[in-house]
Amino acid sequence: MRAVAVGQAELKLFWRNRTALFNSFLGPLLVVPVLISVDAGGVPLVIGLMGFVLAMAVYYNLVTTFVARREELVLKRLRVGELTDPEILVGAALPSVVVALGQMVLFALIVGVVTGVAVPARPWFLVLGVAGGVVVFTLLAAVSSVFTRTVEMAQVTALPVLMACLLGSGMIIPLSDLPEDVASVLRLLPLTPVLELLRAGWDGGPVLRPLIVLAVWIFLGTYAVRRWFRWDPRR
Amino acid sequence: MTVIEVRGLTRRYSGGFEAVRGVSFDVERGEMFALLGTNGAGKTSTVEVVEGLSRPAAGTVSVLGHDPFRERSAVRPRVGVMLQEGGFPPDLTVTEATKMWAGTLTSPRPVDEALSLVDLTHRASVRVKQLSGGERRRLDLALALLGRPEVLFLDEPTTGLDPESRRNTWELIRSLLREGVTVLLTTHYLEEAQTLADRLAIMHRGRIVAQGTVSEVVDAYPSRISFVPPAGVALPVVASEDGDGRMTVRTNNLQETLHELLAWAHANSVELSGLDARSASLEEAFLAIAEEAA
Repeated sequence: MRAVAVGQAELKLFWRNRTALFNSFLGPLLVVPVLISVDAGGVPLVIGLMGFVLAMAVYYNLVTTFVARREELVLKRLRVGELTDPEILVGAALPSVVVALGQMVLFALIVGVVTGVAVPARPWFLVLGVAGGVVVFTLLAAVSSVFTRTVEMAQVTALPVLMACLLGSGMIIPLSDLPEDVASVLRLLPLTPVLELLRAGWDGGPVLRPLIVLAVWIFLGTYAVRRWFRWDPRR
Repeated sequence: MTVIEVRGLTRRYSGGFEAVRGVSFDVERGEMFALLGTNGAGKTSTVEVVEGLSRPAAGTVSVLGHDPFRERSAVRPRVGVMLQEGGFPPDLTVTEATKMWAGTLTSPRPVDEALSLVDLTHRASVRVKQLSGGERRRLDLALALLGRPEVLFLDEPTTGLDPESRRNTWELIRSLLREGVTVLLTTHYLEEAQTLADRLAIMHRGRIVAQGTVSEVVDAYPSRISFVPPAGVALPVVASEDGDGRMTVRTNNLQETLHELLAWAHANSVELSGLDARSASLEEAFLAIAEEAA
């Protein structure tokens, strides 16, 4: 696959980028105390960490990657080559996604062993949730990059999605503790269905609604990227 | 065989500005066609549509028999593009950037070969951000050549190059033309077009205002003879004064007019100091066209 050539170059750049390394590797460790302080242990802790990895290592890192490559005119160059548009985006996203998947497995194993979490009863929902989450947050990162002029600006432009997902998706405050009206709105956030599917993998719970919400987000994200993604800097 | 065919090409930007207004030209196999023009004339806007980066607002473009925008996958493996401004991730080395590009191509040259074509072998392990502007330009050219293209788009390929690298680049382009590669060039450097191009077009405000071989374009403009005659002498030819007493004669028959002038000067023992006679050059044609069209 030709996109791998771009992915390999991106991986080299990732290792050479301290900010991206910090966000990916140290960031998740910083939320562990937060999650433990709200009594998340065992399965909720694993799920919370996986959600955090999706938000930071996939979404936030990719907003900065897409913006950096656009402003460096790398995307413009790639577009005069043989790669198709989706291949370019997949190639640029590859290392962040691979690192994020590695982290999720690692956290699940560590927390799982330390706190004695059972092996997921329905692992395929776990796989669906993780795969859907990666796709949704890659698409959202591409959409956010449209509103982001510089890499530094990503700290601001990524905030709405990050805050909404990290605070409103039941990671820190379980949706069941909230009024039903509020909870039903928060279930429509892009991270909520992912976490619900992960939960379904371990503890059971609804799967149809989260799958539909996730599919709608993927559809909307794909449409928005095709329509609005910017391949070269604004002049 | 016509490799590039552009008919009535118009390009409009989202603000409504028409950068290109009904441009038409053909480029034959193995030929170099140059697009010249002042800044903002619409050269890059034209080339970007021919490269398939965007869709024309009106008109048609065909490259190797295909629409470069809609049939991108049929065209791209056979063309090489050097953008006016293309980027590399600054933290990759020259070799890494070239390898990445090679990995996206159907049948790339070896990386070492591409770098040696543009004399960058000695900079192979240097990070892109440490390259000079001219070296970056040459890396750009190396990537454009990496896929052994049949058609090459060069948008100001020698901007920022020192004179020696510019000569080397010209030599490289000439050898590609000899191998049958078709080249569409845009440049500010008229000398570059005059030396390399088989045919050219001069653009002004989105339109082509002159088109043909170098001599066809240049021959439409008069040759010039200039000199400083002694004060108060009546000249045998029509001349205009440039200031400082220097007179300029414009003529379509340089040899005849010059002969007439020199015979007169000899017979009357008139000294024409600072005598300078020259055929029209592309530069003169270009300046005259830009002035006329303004």
